[in-house]
This record gives sequence, structure tokens and C-alpha cells, in this order.
Amino acid sequence: MIATFRMMRQVLVHPIDFYHDIQEQGRIKWGQALFVVAFAYLARMIAILITGYAFEKREPHEISFLHEFIWLVVPWLTWTVSNWGVSAILEGEGKFKEVFVGSAFALVPYAIFIVPITLLTNVLALDESSIYSFLINFTIYWVGWLLLLKVKIIHDFELVKMAWITVLSIIGILIMWFIGILMFGLMNQLINFVVDMIKELNFRR
Amino acid sequence: MKQVSIFRFVVSMAIALLMVVTALPAQAFAATPYEGYTINNLGEDVHSINGYIYESSIDGYNLPSGPFNAPEDVFLADDGTIYVVDTGNSRVVQLNANHEVVNIIGDEEGDGKLNEPKGVFVKQDGTIYVADTKNQRIAIYDKDGKFIKQFGKPENPLLGATFSYSPSKLLVDKRNYMFVVSDGNTQGLIQIDPNGQFKGFYGANHVGFSWSRLFVKLVATDEQKAKLSVVKPLEFSNAVQDAEGFIYTTTLGTETNQLKRLSPVGVDTLNIGERRYGGRFDAGPFEVPSFLDLAVDKDGVITALDLQSSKVYQYDKLGNFLFVFGGLGEQNGLFVTPSSLAQSSDGTVYVVDKGRNRIDLFRTTPFADLVHDASKLFVDGRYKEAEGMWNEVLHLNGNFELAYLAIGKSLYKAESYKEAMHYFELARSRTDYSNAFKEYRKEYIREHFAWICLAIITIIILLRYIIPFLWRRLPALWSSRNTARTERIKGGVPHDRNV
Repeated sequence: MIATFRMMRQVLVHPIDFYHDIQEQGRIKWGQALFVVAFAYLARMIAILITGYAFEKREPHEISFLHEFIWLVVPWLTWTVSNWGVSAILEGEGKFKEVFVGSAFALVPYAIFIVPITLLTNVLALDESSIYSFLINFTIYWVGWLLLLKVKIIHDFELVKMAWITVLSIIGILIMWFIGILMFGLMNQLINFVVDMIKELNFRR
Repeated sequence: MKQVSIFRFVVSMAIALLMVVTALPAQAFAATPYEGYTINNLGEDVHSINGYIYESSIDGYNLPSGPFNAPEDVFLADDGTIYVVDTGNSRVVQLNANHEVVNIIGDEEGDGKLNEPKGVFVKQDGTIYVADTKNQRIAIYDKDGKFIKQFGKPENPLLGATFSYSPSKLLVDKRNYMFVVSDGNTQGLIQIDPNGQFKGFYGANHVGFSWSRLFVKLVATDEQKAKLSVVKPLEFSNAVQDAEGFIYTTTLGTETNQLKRLSPVGVDTLNIGERRYGGRFDAGPFEVPSFLDLAVDKDGVITALDLQSSKVYQYDKLGNFLFVFGGLGEQNGLFVTPSSLAQSSDGTVYVVDKGRNRIDLFRTTPFADLVHDASKLFVDGRYKEAEGMWNEVLHLNGNFELAYLAIGKSLYKAESYKEAMHYFELARSRTDYSNAFKEYRKEYIREHFAWICLAIITIIILLRYIIPFLWRRLPALWSSRNTARTERIKGGVPHDRNV
């Protein structure tokens, strides 16, 4: 536990060292990644709860804790899988565990700063919202930068190759989502078909 | 004996009273065939009390002039005189305030004979201007219905060679300039001076910028371009003038800004940005409202008729939704093919139903009267005076969001910012909420200045000294506890690593 918090501190302060360090044998655990993602999700839910009225554009009934969870976990997981897959084909050195944990730790700035930033919405008026949006954007760019850094260091890529891998990873994510939605639709059809068949048979018994 | 009869009397009276009471609602309240609603800040329609109720109809069957045939327009003079443009019979019927025929205009042979007129305008002095559509002219009659003169098709190079003149609606301003709506003309209202000279177009709609059009322009060859349909500005369907001389127009074929208030130079002053008039799903999805006519009362309340849903929508001077009534159907209160509307000085709305050859009259409900009075004060910025009325509106209908906004503004003006914030939240008005919040924050800081300073100083001390101190000391404490534990395990040998 303490080690996880130490690592969270390190990824904020010395991100390059951090991504070098996690490649050491036995340094990281799967549970750490899950802990960080759960922490980010919790922070996001708290942030939604404490957003000031003027800044919350959605109605309460439009917010779903399940949707928020999906929108955090699915991009992270698909990014991990896609990035690991693409890198493995194109001579990347990273192991799946390192990509998995490294991507999760890239969410640390968001998880830590979203709550204090959102607290600001309770003291800011709408015409001062540029302060708020600047801070939020800064955090999100920070997360993005950490992700790129992770791709570069863990797989030991050049700058150009890193950009290329990132683009490919994003394409991979889109393909995965497409297939996922397709499978979802087909499974729905299949289940409906089976259920209907059972109903029909039952009816004609 | 006497007691028994009294008892029987009382019981029978009670039963009779009960019967009357239970029977009364069925007789007294005929249900309106349409449901009133109002639009909240999320663009959803929520149930509301009806603002207008069907009262009666004028169909002409019991008039000496005979029944109407496909009437297209109605004009109400200030003294209550009604001018009905009876298009199918090619005449204008003038009725007095008691709905009795005063005069029939344009049905006699001669220069004044009308041919399917579609619009009429009557000046203060009683001079009658008729848009004589099939004759392609504007015919003018004096107040006794005697033909005076006519203005034919305006001649001007600006109008272009292909210009076809089919005047359908018109209005006359204080300078005696005529503003004519010509069917199918997309260049704006045609301005004609008192001598019949064309004086230019007024207030035309514009074709906005479109990325797809720019792309087509860049990519398409000349031959392809020639085959594309020409993009034309949208067409006006009607124009009316309010008491101050502003001209209001209705535009066809668009989802936004169908109603406009034009300044003297022809610029829209009603809509800031895009605004949707009409009901979103009243006519069905993917249907564009087509407003045919509108009326503006002395307080600036706009009442507009949409053919697509056959409903009448009412907005206040700022364009806030107030009421809706009517609809498509055969019952009294619904319309078959509405074509025009007008509003009398007492607030009664006259809707011309072309499909059923009659004019339906709608009166305001007490709720509508209350809202109108309150909104009149509200649009003038006299929030404080209107506050009581808005509270009463809310008492009758808690869904009426405009009332929350109005009360919020009143409270804001009275500097009770915290309560104003509460009302703005109920009205879902984030900008107003934020403004009130800003004032409230100022007030709060002023009142609690000492405490806030103290809190800031404490936080600085905490961040600068105490937390770094704990940061340095805690790991040391932690490790000393660990070493203590090892000491115990290792059998009391202190610091065995150094031994």
C-alpha cells in the first residue's frame, strides 16, 4: 500500500524515472493498477458530486455511475490491450503487465487533482470558468503526456516511432470498439432468438 | 309527525344536493380537446394550464352575406370591426363588433371587383387596402367600401425579368408606405410608396454560411454546378405591425427564428442567436413548423399560427414561451386548415379556419390573464411589482418556469442574492444563477472577512511547516517502530544490522 502511494508520488514528480523503474523485475503488482483505476473512478464520482450548480451542465438523472465507470475503464483497458498488441508486433520491449500498470499510473494526475480543481467550481462564477477549464485541460494533457512517455520508455522507442505506435494504437482501439459493439448486437440477436425459440416450443407443447 | 317530515326534507335535500354536486362537473366543464403545456429550460414540454379556451365561431350561415368560402385573412380594427377576406367568394366582409354585417367590399362588377384576394389591411381612418392576389394588384377602398384606386405590379429593374407578382398579405405604415408579401418572393417585403412606386425590398432573410456548400463549390465542375438547385433565401409568409411601428414577420421552411421583429433598417431584433419557435414534436418528428400568421398585442405578446401542427403558439415580448392551443381535428377548438389569425384589443384570438370556412374565437383563461399581466411587468424590467403575481402563477402551476426566473430576478434586484440563487436554480438558468452567486460571494466575503483571512493563514502554515514536518518525521517513526519489532523478534538485540 505504502509502495503504491510512493509510486504515485514518483509518477507525478519523476515520471521518467518511474517508467524506467517499473521495468525492474518484481517491482509492480497487478493489484496496484486496479487500485489506481479504482482511485481515479472514486475521484471522478466525488468530483461529480461536488461540482457547483452553475458548472454542472447535466441534470442529475443524466448521470449514471455505471456509465462513468465504463467510460473510464473501457478506454483504459482497450488502450492497454491495443498498445501492447501493436508494440509487440512492432518490436516493442514492454511486457503486458508493464503496459497495464503503466497506463493505470498515467491516470494519477487526474485522480489526485480532479477533486481540488472541482472544489473551485463552488467559489467561481461562470465568467471566471476559464480558470477551471484551464486547470482541467492541464490535468488531461498531463495524463496524455504520461501515456506517451509510457509508450516511449517502456517499449524503448524513438520519438517518431512512438507517435506512429500511438496512432496505430488508437486505430486498434477503434477497431476493438467496433467489433465489441458488433458482437454485442449479434449476441443480443442470438439470445433473443434462443429465448423466442424456447417460448415458441413451450407454446406448442 | 312534523319531526319526521323535517327529517325527510333534510335527507332529500342532502341527496338532491349530492346529486347536483356530483353531476355538476360533467356539465360545467367541457374538456378542451387540447392539452396545455409550457416549455422548460431543457427544451422539454411540461404540462401546464391552458391559456386559451374555445369560445364561439363565426361561419356566416346566419349572416345576410351567406357562408364564407375558404377565408384567408382577418383584420381586426381597434373599434372591434372585423374584416374577413372571403377568398373563395372573392370579397371582403366587414362585420361590426356584434358580428353583424356592415358592408361587403369588392363583390360588385367594376374596377373594384376582387379576384381571390388573400390579405387586407385597414388604416386608422378606415381606408381599406386589399391584396387582390389573382388580379395582381392592391385595391384601395374608402371607409364606406367605395373603390378609390389601385396599384398594379411594381416596375423596377431591381425586381428582375422573372419577377412574378402575387400579393398575398400587406401592411401600411404611418407614412402610407405599403409593405407587401408576394407569394414565392424570397427577396423580402416589397416596399411601395403612396404613389405606387417601388421603393426597394425590406428585411430580407439571408442565406447563411454553410461548410457543405463551400465544399461543393470548391469541388464541383461548372456543369455540375449548373445542375445544382439554386440556394435561395427563405420566404416570408406574413407581416404585421405592432403599435410602435415595428414590423414582425413569419418565415417558412426553417426550424429556427421563424418569427422576427424587424428594426426600421430591416434587422431582426427579437432573436439573439438561434431560437426555435413552435413545438418540436407537435407535428411529428422531422417536421418543420410553418408559421403562416402572427399577431402582436399592445404589450408585445406575440401569437403565431403554425400550419404544420395547426397550433397557435404564444410568446412574450422577449420570445419566452407562454401558451399553446389548438391542434388538428374536427372538434371545436381544433382546426382543419387554419390560415390566419388576429387578436382583438380585449385579448380574444380569432383564428381563421380555411378548411372549415369559419372563424374560431378563443378567450383567455384567468390563468392566462394573470400570466399576461405579470409578463407585461416582467418584460419592462419591473420585477418587484410582478413578484406577487408570479407567486400566484406558481401557486396555480408549479411547472411554469418563467415564474421562477421572474421571481429570481426580482429577488436579485432586491439584493437577496441567496434566495435569488435558489429561484434561478429552480428556473434552470445557469447564467443568472452565476451572476447572483457572484454578488452573494462578494457579500459573504465582506461579512466573514476576518475568518477567511484566518483560514488562509492557517492553510499557509499547515502547508509550509506542519505537513513537511510530518512528511519528514513519519517515515522515521514508522521505521523506528519496525526496528522495535525486529528487536523483539530477534530477542532484544538492538540494531542487529549494525552489530
